[in-house]
Amino acid sequence: MSTLYFEDIEEGDELPAIDLFLSKDQVRQYARTAGMYVPRFTDDEGARAEGLPGMIAPGVMSMGLLAGMISDWNQAAEIKRIGTTFRSPVLPDRNIHLRGAVTQKIEADHTAECDIWLENDDGERWVVGTATVALPTKA
Amino acid sequence: MAVEFDRSIIGQVFDETSFPPVTKEEILEFAAALGEKNPLYTDEAKAAKGPYGSLIAPPTLVTKLRAKKFTPEHLPKFGKVGFDGGRDLEIHAPIRPGDVLTMASTIHDIYEKTGRTGSMYFIVIRNEVTNQKGEKVAVIDHRIMQR
Repeated sequence: MSTLYFEDIEEGDELPAIDLFLSKDQVRQYARTAGMYVPRFTDDEGARAEGLPGMIAPGVMSMGLLAGMISDWNQAAEIKRIGTTFRSPVLPDRNIHLRGAVTQKIEADHTAECDIWLENDDGERWVVGTATVALPTKA
Repeated sequence: MAVEFDRSIIGQVFDETSFPPVTKEEILEFAAALGEKNPLYTDEAKAAKGPYGSLIAPPTLVTKLRAKKFTPEHLPKFGKVGFDGGRDLEIHAPIRPGDVLTMASTIHDIYEKTGRTGSMYFIVIRNEVTNQKGEKVAVIDHRIMQR
């Protein structure tokens, strides 16, 4: 965990990748704390009854994990805006990979635009998005 | 085929919900469920010495707020099945323990997209979250796909 200033980053920088095994228990823990404790997020059978392949992670959990990746990259980055599109259900009990890159630096307000996404082992991007982060400046 | 509906529904507040005060435990549990490591969200003592002077909530905590009414009563059905298409979140002010949040909901937009598999409708529900000081905390746009 580090602190990066606006001057420290460049367009094209990759955010440190996060690779994790998303367990069913972590999804249930999120569902519980987020008030989303319903079958599609908590058990395979209940999810299948709703026509899903098995239990899935809430879209907003993926959004939260991606926000966490930004915070791990730079604990001083203040997220001003984050937007995510849920392209495909995120299935737990497998590896997920959180990725991001700085696409634009904006001098006027010391912000950076980032692309962010969550992919599976096959490189399929289940969740894609962008974020605007404000960074501290040395000046 | 376009669905006819009364566009005056767009922008009208159809729900206002107030929530119990945000607790420290709620922030810590939410941060733990996401595996957050930033002391601003996970360590009360360190956060107290940081730029906000206290623990604050991870930015996506506002996505757990549930309006009493998710959609207006007279919203037509645009399709048979609904999907959670995504969220856009603007963050304006940090959330601290003890904050009392209120959320106002409007239909922000309804639009149609035609793809290979036919027409899809996007309903954008906008939730504006304010705190007890009247400060704007966040704006959440929730895109629901129907087809």
